[in-house]
Amino acid sequence: MLSTIKNNINSCSLSPSGRIKTISHGLAYCLLFIISIEVMAAQSNKILNINFHAYYGDVLLKLDDSVYKTENETAIQIETFKCYISGIELLNKEQVVFRENNSFHLLDVSELKSLSIPVTTPSTIQYDKIKFNIGIDSLTNVSGAYGGDLDPTKGMYWTWQNGYINFKLEGKSMICPTKNNEFQFHIGGYQFPDRTMQQVILNILMEGSLAIRIDLKKIIDSIDLTKQNQVMSPGKDAVILSEKALKIFSSY
Amino acid sequence: MKKVFILLLISTFIILAFKSGNEYTFAIPINWPKPTYDFAKNPLSIDKIQLGRALFYDPQLSSDNTTSCSSCHSQFTAFTHVDHALSHGIKDRIGKRNSLALMNLAWHQSFMWDGAINHLDMQSLAPISNPDEMDEKIEHVVTKLQKSKIYPLLFQKAFGDSTITGEHLLKSISQFMLTLVSSNSKYDSVMRKESVFTAQENQGYKLFKTNCAECHTEPLFTNLKFENNGLTLDTTLNDTGRMKITHNKKDSLRFKVPSLRNIEFSYPYMHDGRFKKLSEVVTHYTSGVQKSNTLSKKLEKNLVLSSNERVDLIAFLLTLTDRTFLFNKDYSFPRTIFFTEKKE
Ligand code: HEC
Ligand code: HEC
Repeated sequence: MLSTIKNNINSCSLSPSGRIKTISHGLAYCLLFIISIEVMAAQSNKILNINFHAYYGDVLLKLDDSVYKTENETAIQIETFKCYISGIELLNKEQVVFRENNSFHLLDVSELKSLSIPVTTPSTIQYDKIKFNIGIDSLTNVSGAYGGDLDPTKGMYWTWQNGYINFKLEGKSMICPTKNNEFQFHIGGYQFPDRTMQQVILNILMEGSLAIRIDLKKIIDSIDLTKQNQVMSPGKDAVILSEKALKIFSSY
Repeated sequence: MKKVFILLLISTFIILAFKSGNEYTFAIPINWPKPTYDFAKNPLSIDKIQLGRALFYDPQLSSDNTTSCSSCHSQFTAFTHVDHALSHGIKDRIGKRNSLALMNLAWHQSFMWDGAINHLDMQSLAPISNPDEMDEKIEHVVTKLQKSKIYPLLFQKAFGDSTITGEHLLKSISQFMLTLVSSNSKYDSVMRKESVFTAQENQGYKLFKTNCAECHTEPLFTNLKFENNGLTLDTTLNDTGRMKITHNKKDSLRFKVPSLRNIEFSYPYMHDGRFKKLSEVVTHYTSGVQKSNTLSKKLEKNLVLSSNERVDLIAFLLTLTDRTFLFNKDYSFPRTIFFTEKKE
């Protein structure tokens, strides 16, 4: 809110108009701001927390030295799990009843706070489904620098060929024939035919609860780590992995 | 308590709303197309441009604090690197490509020889993190700058926030680069009817319009497309250009058409810096063009030029030199900013 108003003011100062225009613009913005505060106060809103819980199979995921087992009883460790959630919508009987503005969130298991996304909705809202994207849309990918969770300092942006990394999973397993037995999956790509943003639609089973489960075992078990352990650029492999990533999300 | 907060907020907005004298109007040269850069998303201001200028010249953007953007993009050579064919980064590491001249970037849609970069704001991330160039991480640059004496103040002045973010860092470097407009060469003054070409330059201009302008299109002297101009593949580099990005065979050996403005000073030429002189470039177009599947149709017919015509063509290319650009004080090392830092 604050930053959008500031931006507006900056952009009005770009116009070559004189000082008078700047002053009237300034007044208009102040008025707008006061009005918007009042409108906000008049409407009764509530804050809904969308809570993501990251698991490996049945156990809560930890990014320490915890060792997990794959389907074939191979030991693995997970070191990084981050992914973008964008375009959050709530639906009721197939109708969109809420759409979050500027909806870009980075989930990062190493930062617990990031796993709970507060959204402000009208207080009377009813919904039976949640819809969101894993990843960042193409337009945002080509529109320059953004702040907040989209800031390029978040380590989710490719620098040598532009684009957001939608989904990042890194860890170790003895069966990876790589340096330090590492596997690294940086899934991204926004250009046809290598688009990797995926849409998730989940039924909300429990009234009033917005808890979403992420199970990384599902994606690990779908990858042959002896053969595939480094995917770090857009392409066919990334697209296939993004489809697999879609399946790790479920509702309670 | 809440009321006080709101009042405070409102008064900040009033101050912000009436702040002026910091605007920067981006002037579009007469008869030029509209820029493609979306200024509404990153409105220019003098403070942001000055911040970007400081960053452009600051070696703190590299891991060992030795290399700045200007190390490879120096003003007197139209912001490219002259003494090296391939770029020359920290610890004398040699890159894979010749550095590009920086000018009139507000009109470009994609950046780098292969168009790997989709937006000017994102451009700086590439050299900062390239191990052969500045070998640094943007996260770490932000931490370093936050600790410095001068930058939190400069960011506060420019963005109203002393906390440095990647977004603000990138947007301010863009702002500085956007101001690098070259539109004051002899060619431009002839177009504005303020001066005239010599007979030789005029001959050269005619030859240029028939043989070169389809790719090196006026007034930017590039059509901003990717083309194969028939260079033989250097097998030590195996650089296939645009294909690396699109994975499409049709794009093999296609490179971004470079602008020819200030070409007198931006040698060596081509993506790998293989030619040192303009005469070598002309010889390439007359007798060096290599046929291949992706060679541009515009170059399929052999170009025949007499030795006089070759000289005329080069004479015309020299009219693209813009001294007001090469020596513009607004683009040079920001002594005043760095000097105040030292005094503090
Ligand atoms: C080590 C040398 C080096 C450094 C340092 C460097 N660059 Fe570059 N720059 C290059 C090279 C080489 C290219 C062309 C690379 C390519 O096409 O792959 C280039 C290309 C560019 C382009 C693209 C121009 C166009 O027309 O497409 C821009 C913009 C740019 N650099 C800006 C910067 C900025 C800003 C910095 C500092 C943050 C910087 N450069 C630091 C060597 C360097
Ligand atoms: C088919 C499009 C096309 C035509 C026609 C064309 N060029 Fe080029 N030119 C290019 C491309 C593409 C490059 C960059 C090639 C590379 O580095 O791989 C280039 C590079 C150059 C360069 C080097 C610029 C630099 O900064 O390195 C010069 C000089 C040049 N051309 C001059 C000419 C002249 C003079 C003519 C007419 C005789 C001409 N070109 C015709 C596409 C074209």
